[in-house]
Amino acid sequence: MEAFQGLMSGFQIAFSLSGIIFIFIGVFVGTFIGMMPGLGPISAIAIMIPVTYNMDPALALVMMAGVYYGAIFGGSTSSILLNAPGVAGTVATSFDGYPMAQQGKAGKALAIAAISSFVGGTISVVLLMMFSPLLASVAISFGPAEYFALMLLGLTAISSLSEGSTIKAFISAILGFMVVTIGIDSQTGTARFTFGNANLLEGIDFLVIALGLFALAEVCMLIFNRKDTSVSDNKNLGSMKLSKNDIKEMAGPMGRQSFLGFIIGVLPGAGATIASFIAYITEKKIAKNPEEFGKGSIKGVAAPETANNAATSGAFVPLLSLGIPGSGTTAVLLGAFLVLGIQPGPLLVQDHPDIFWGIIASMYVGNLFLLILNLPLVPYISKVLRIPRPMLISLVIIFSLIGVYALSFNTFDLYLLLAFGVIGFLMRIFSFPAPPFILAFILGGMMEQALRQTMTISNGNLYIFFTKPIALSLIILSLLSILFPIIKNRIKKPVG
Amino acid sequence: MLKSVNRKVALFLAAVAILFIFLSFQLPSYPYTEVDADIVPKGLGFLLLICSILLFFNNQEETEAERKKREIPRDELLMLLAVFGIILVYIFLLELIGFVIMTILFIFFTTWFLGYKKLISNLAVSVTFSLVIYLLFSYLLQINLPAGILPI
Repeated sequence: MEAFQGLMSGFQIAFSLSGIIFIFIGVFVGTFIGMMPGLGPISAIAIMIPVTYNMDPALALVMMAGVYYGAIFGGSTSSILLNAPGVAGTVATSFDGYPMAQQGKAGKALAIAAISSFVGGTISVVLLMMFSPLLASVAISFGPAEYFALMLLGLTAISSLSEGSTIKAFISAILGFMVVTIGIDSQTGTARFTFGNANLLEGIDFLVIALGLFALAEVCMLIFNRKDTSVSDNKNLGSMKLSKNDIKEMAGPMGRQSFLGFIIGVLPGAGATIASFIAYITEKKIAKNPEEFGKGSIKGVAAPETANNAATSGAFVPLLSLGIPGSGTTAVLLGAFLVLGIQPGPLLVQDHPDIFWGIIASMYVGNLFLLILNLPLVPYISKVLRIPRPMLISLVIIFSLIGVYALSFNTFDLYLLLAFGVIGFLMRIFSFPAPPFILAFILGGMMEQALRQTMTISNGNLYIFFTKPIALSLIILSLLSILFPIIKNRIKKPVG
Repeated sequence: MLKSVNRKVALFLAAVAILFIFLSFQLPSYPYTEVDADIVPKGLGFLLLICSILLFFNNQEETEAERKKREIPRDELLMLLAVFGIILVYIFLLELIGFVIMTILFIFFTTWFLGYKKLISNLAVSVTFSLVIYLLFSYLLQINLPAGILPI
């Protein structure tokens, strides 16, 4: 009953005039940025954070949530039309979406994407609403030891699940953790690694990292691909109408993948990307005619699109109820919360019910917006893809610079931003994944605090972790997740 | 070749780790705590050292996609460096000259430099964008961007 009342008050925020306007802005901007090839949801959220500085927290966060799932949806549009996914979570959509577009059925593919995103998003919001308060009530008894173990699990999971070399992913996470130790230590007041520079005493702001490592680094890659304008000027999208048979065919994948995608989204480390791939693979496995996949199958578009949106809502569960993000994107979203002075976690439902329920209610509304906004408008929005790359590049650079400048009004931070842009670029060149870095940066401060609190309780003895069953099992899980890629490799190439 | 690239990166990271460990040992100690500010940095330094050693001796093959990512034509790299140079100039002059003028110049020049040659539409976008952003931030968001030499 309490939840019902909470939801109703949430809807009051979502359905207020300003609520609707900000959800609309969020979804629209998210779709817009997500559609840009190369720019993902992390950049979209980071670019929008400065806009929220003086806003009402509930409205600001409702808008940011809209940016997040809008960006995922926008990514699918460029996957279908360009075969150039703007977002990693929509790569699987291009497997069948792009062939459909080549057959002149781009409109149909976009309609399938919009409808399955809506279904996946909506079903998983219902699940989010049921699970978040439940998890929060369990987590309320967690002490620093459990929190430390939980965050450790999040970090090891994202590292071992990222694509490419696992060692590189771990190095990326360690570097992110190192950067967050710069500045005054909150417990002892010791200035660490500041080299006498007063600008570094307060540490490096996360927005500098997020915009540098993602937006600026993505711009660097865009500079290399600026001549690649594969979208033709007068491409006919074709009809967007779906027949009854099409809908029947979509129903199965949509139903299954909403749940599967949600569960994967809740798990630490896994997110929209992994959910969409797993959805694609499972649907292909159970399909009656798997040979259609890859040639423009309806199921092949519906499955990943349902799953990535479901995972997006799933990722909100640990963020809202534990205060611990499980992915790079939710890490940046947590940063957005903290900028507004809101600490998500088990106490969020009690302390800020307006925000907790406002976000959940806004996701119902936002998903509806995505559907009614995008179905008729997609042909027009897709013109965005024709913005000349050189102009897009300069605009994104300016957005990143303003974002950081408006934070501190200090040009020192702008030089730092540029430096992290270079680091992010080098990481991409040498195939070091960036999401573990940002997640470690966001979690690092909390992890260090939790670890030191735990060890202070035990007078510096690590043995305390063995006396706490929840913390111990989480640590064992993290160790297993480190071993997982090694085992996987061994199985792949049997040592003869 | 591919092995040596990973190895060079690993050596560089090991150097970073050793420097970090060295700096961690320099941190002043704080007498009234059980767990001091240097514990976590020291641990991170050693972890990075271990990981870079693992990377050095890792004989995992570089995939084709990874190699492709690394191969960038010289001209393009110079282009990137030039853009970074323009950004540096922008940052340096932002507070002196002001947001509106610098942003118009930045967008116009960078867009032109990267190969968009329609001057009129370029000018229109850079002027409109800069003014709209400035007004949006000043009036709607109440964030004052540097006015500089313009009397606004």
